[in-house]
Amino acid sequence: MIIFLQATAEGLALGAVYSLVAIGFVLIYKAMDVLSFAQPALAVVGAAFISALAVDRGVPFWIAFIVGIVLTGILSLIIERTFLRPMVGEPVFSVAILTIGIDILLRTVLDNWIGLNPRYLGDPFPSFGNFGSINIGGVVLKYLEISAFLTAVVVIILLSIFFKKSKYGVAMRATSFDQEAALAQGIDVGKIFALVWFIAGMLASFAGFFITGGFNTLTQFSFISALRALPAVVIGGLDSIPGAVVGSLIIGLTQGYVAYFQADMESLVGFPLGSGFSLVAPYLIMFVILLVKPDGLFGTEEVERV
Amino acid sequence: MRGRPNLYTDYRKESAVLPNLTQKFWFVVLLFFAFSLCLIASDYWILLLTTSFLIAVAAWGLNIVSGFAGQISLAHGVFVGIGTYTASVLGGVATTYVIGYELDMIIWLPLSGLSAALIGLLIAPISVRLKGLNLGLVTLALVFIGSHLFSNLKFITGGAGLGRKAAKLVLFGFDFDEGLVIGNLILEKNQLTYILALFVCVLAGLGVKNLTRSKTGRAYSAIRDGDIAAEAIGINLFKFKSSAFALSSFYAGITGALMFSVSGGVEPGTFNLIYSVTFIAIVIIGGGGTVLGPLFGALFFSLMPGAIQTAMHSFGFLGQDLALSLGQIERVIFGLFIILFLIFEPRGLWGIWFRLRNYFKAWPFSY
Repeated sequence: MIIFLQATAEGLALGAVYSLVAIGFVLIYKAMDVLSFAQPALAVVGAAFISALAVDRGVPFWIAFIVGIVLTGILSLIIERTFLRPMVGEPVFSVAILTIGIDILLRTVLDNWIGLNPRYLGDPFPSFGNFGSINIGGVVLKYLEISAFLTAVVVIILLSIFFKKSKYGVAMRATSFDQEAALAQGIDVGKIFALVWFIAGMLASFAGFFITGGFNTLTQFSFISALRALPAVVIGGLDSIPGAVVGSLIIGLTQGYVAYFQADMESLVGFPLGSGFSLVAPYLIMFVILLVKPDGLFGTEEVERV
Repeated sequence: MRGRPNLYTDYRKESAVLPNLTQKFWFVVLLFFAFSLCLIASDYWILLLTTSFLIAVAAWGLNIVSGFAGQISLAHGVFVGIGTYTASVLGGVATTYVIGYELDMIIWLPLSGLSAALIGLLIAPISVRLKGLNLGLVTLALVFIGSHLFSNLKFITGGAGLGRKAAKLVLFGFDFDEGLVIGNLILEKNQLTYILALFVCVLAGLGVKNLTRSKTGRAYSAIRDGDIAAEAIGINLFKFKSSAFALSSFYAGITGALMFSVSGGVEPGTFNLIYSVTFIAIVIIGGGGTVLGPLFGALFFSLMPGAIQTAMHSFGFLGQDLALSLGQIERVIFGLFIILFLIFEPRGLWGIWFRLRNYFKAWPFSY
């Protein structure tokens, strides 16, 4: 039972982190019809900014944290402005491939900077420690995991208020509903695109911090964890924010349970699933769900015309 | 040029593989030139050309399914991997931890293509169910499932980080390692593999060209341009999408079988997402939906490292401490080219070639 609770807690924390990246995916997809494969790379870029400032330059952690997140937002804004703006109206898939090109660029430069040794991101509470953990009735919760979960909840609440109440939030919803109609209403769609990418970039770097913080460290393979937000988005439906959150939790929980119960599963199915199966399980789930429900659990069904 | 080379008096002549004399002439000249390159080029460039010919075969495969039939596949690298491992098992040497049967190339080469095609056929029904981006995402899942299998089936692949030796190049009992002596001419292993790669590449290219002028090829284009409309005019979507996937995987399997036999060994980590994306990028840079495009793309991709090295050598940069290593510079340039081609020249290198050709056709007149 304790193992089950432990797996659940870790899964939820992972899911919360994925949901941050996933919401970025959905925001961009809704606003521009672009599936941005560059999102995982942006998450790692955010972590790298924080690490470079907090550890290499010795800037106090919280300043480094905020500056890193804002810098990532600005970087993603620049990417949108230079590379994606000319592609408005092009087929979805070409733009997706273009973002893979951006991903290759960002990651190559980043891998060079990261080098072979893992990098740390600094400690937000030097006396308290994000490296530490708390023990509740046998379930060990890392501070990092708890804060990841809380951050995700706060960010999701803030975002939903933003979309409901603020002028730009409403404009963003209008743009995602119909670009031309939004233009006709006097909404500056270009500005909305920029805002969407700025928010998505910041969300990605939040996730980047939680993926690489503490003992996880920043390595050349960190982006693979961030990429796992992609099956989460697909499961939930590419154009649904609640779907992204639910999908992320499903992926996170799956990963947690498989990591802890793989031996039991193997005795159930009767053949070894192989090492690192918990990392592939999300993609298996995505595979199955796409076959059953091609638009995801919460996505709007696409109407096809000849 | 005499007469009227562009006047076709019957359909057969117009749809010929090489419709006019100019094309026949240049085809033979280029073939002869490519063949003689193995005698004059240095070992380094021969190796680069060999890989580019083999990569072109896989790129043509992807072009069949994505460029002609319009079905997105991010899992092309996995099919290359399936071909590689079929060949390695059938033609490789057994050790204490991997299996291998040391068969002849004439057996393992077709079989590795066929096994990849078989897996492709298994995947194909998905493409009937899903379209566009969703299909791309499912194939993305396949990449991860595939590389998980590759790194865990240790008796076939040797396991992650270790890898195994690929198939031995033995054709009809003749070992490529021994080299060939014809009179005064001594052909070493790399020259022999070059000739083999060239042969396979030309064969594959002619196959693609043939496909475009057949009923199947026209059905593919119809599916790409609008699959509901294609179904309405009586094209069996299931049949043609399946055959597109099978054919494309066959090409990928052939490439996989030969490519790693040339380089010697293979590690399962090779067949990751980037590897599959490379093929998409090659098709995009070369020009999708054309016959020559993937060949251009493959030549560009494989010769780029050599070109960069030569350029850096002549500018005196080589050996200096640069911010990025040579491999990283290649990747940055590669990534940049994907982006730039998509924005400025969606038809790829083929589009540039097409405009150049048309410009010089009527030169110095504008039309």
